[in-house]
Amino acid sequence: MRYPAGPDDPEHPATPGVRPFLRGKEAPPAPQEVAPALRPFVITSGRVAAVDPDIGLETQVSALPSAFYARLSPEQRAIVQLCRDPLSLAEISAQLRMHFGVTRILVCDLRAAGHLDVHVLQSDFPDPDTIMRVIRGLRSIL
Amino acid sequence: MPEPPRRKAPVPVKIIVAGGFGVGKTTTVGAISEISPLTTEAEMTMESVGVDDPGQASAKTTTTIAMDFGCVTIDQTLKLYLFGTPGQSRFSFMWDDLVRGALGALVVVDTSRIDDCYPAVDYFERAGLPFVVGVNTFNGQLGYNLDEVRWALTVRDEVPVVQFDARFRGSVRDALLVVLDQALNKALRMRQ
Repeated sequence: MRYPAGPDDPEHPATPGVRPFLRGKEAPPAPQEVAPALRPFVITSGRVAAVDPDIGLETQVSALPSAFYARLSPEQRAIVQLCRDPLSLAEISAQLRMHFGVTRILVCDLRAAGHLDVHVLQSDFPDPDTIMRVIRGLRSIL
Repeated sequence: MPEPPRRKAPVPVKIIVAGGFGVGKTTTVGAISEISPLTTEAEMTMESVGVDDPGQASAKTTTTIAMDFGCVTIDQTLKLYLFGTPGQSRFSFMWDDLVRGALGALVVVDTSRIDDCYPAVDYFERAGLPFVVGVNTFNGQLGYNLDEVRWALTVRDEVPVVQFDARFRGSVRDALLVVLDQALNKALRMRQ
């Protein structure tokens, strides 16, 4: 290896400490696809198991008064803020751009802590009266 | 500042809009939803239909799928949700989470790719969920008549096969009303 004779040596310019691609001769390596946020289940401390199978995509969730005084993680705080009025789990997940499974675990935690009201339905299949109301409601829209 | 919820939570009901890739599920949801369709990502368990792995009892993997959904407020106490869900051929999705408590399903079919909807039809038949086959008439044209579609799918006679246009609200509403009719029949049978 030859060392440059001096700072003005045109044949061997001194470039100490500069990483090769910063010299501009070659293109820098293509940046890796960067994950937009934490891996989803980091927020839930790695838990993935569904807490309550009766809590589905359409289950309505509303915040309880204590939630607004509690110390919460940013994600939980965001859920509470969204649920001032009742909102479905699917909508929470979509608006916070949070995986549905993650959303469900965080909602279950908030419910266990007494900060959320989760309106779990009793019956597995809707009763005829409810279905009739949906039919009438749909007929009345154009 | 803290304040109690202003509204009472409505009772949610849901209908599933299923079908292969690009058959118009999101268009269907968007045509009738009062919000523009939102997307949520959810985990689903896939069970590969064992053509190439006969040795193993079942090869289950999970995959994350994107689901488009919308809603229609029926009145202050009742809200209808529509979930558009993908179904790929060669995989039968375990839709249990999605199907639990659902009123029924609309299986959207494109007549040029009828086999795309087989997994959905198979699943709903096994799950005992009321469903309707909705043939999406792109540009108002129907490649095959409805009897031919019924023959190709070999669905039971009780399963309605209807024609609709996913772009039009009234047309989607009519298809959903057929689903609701099936759901009502099931609910009445369960009550007896």
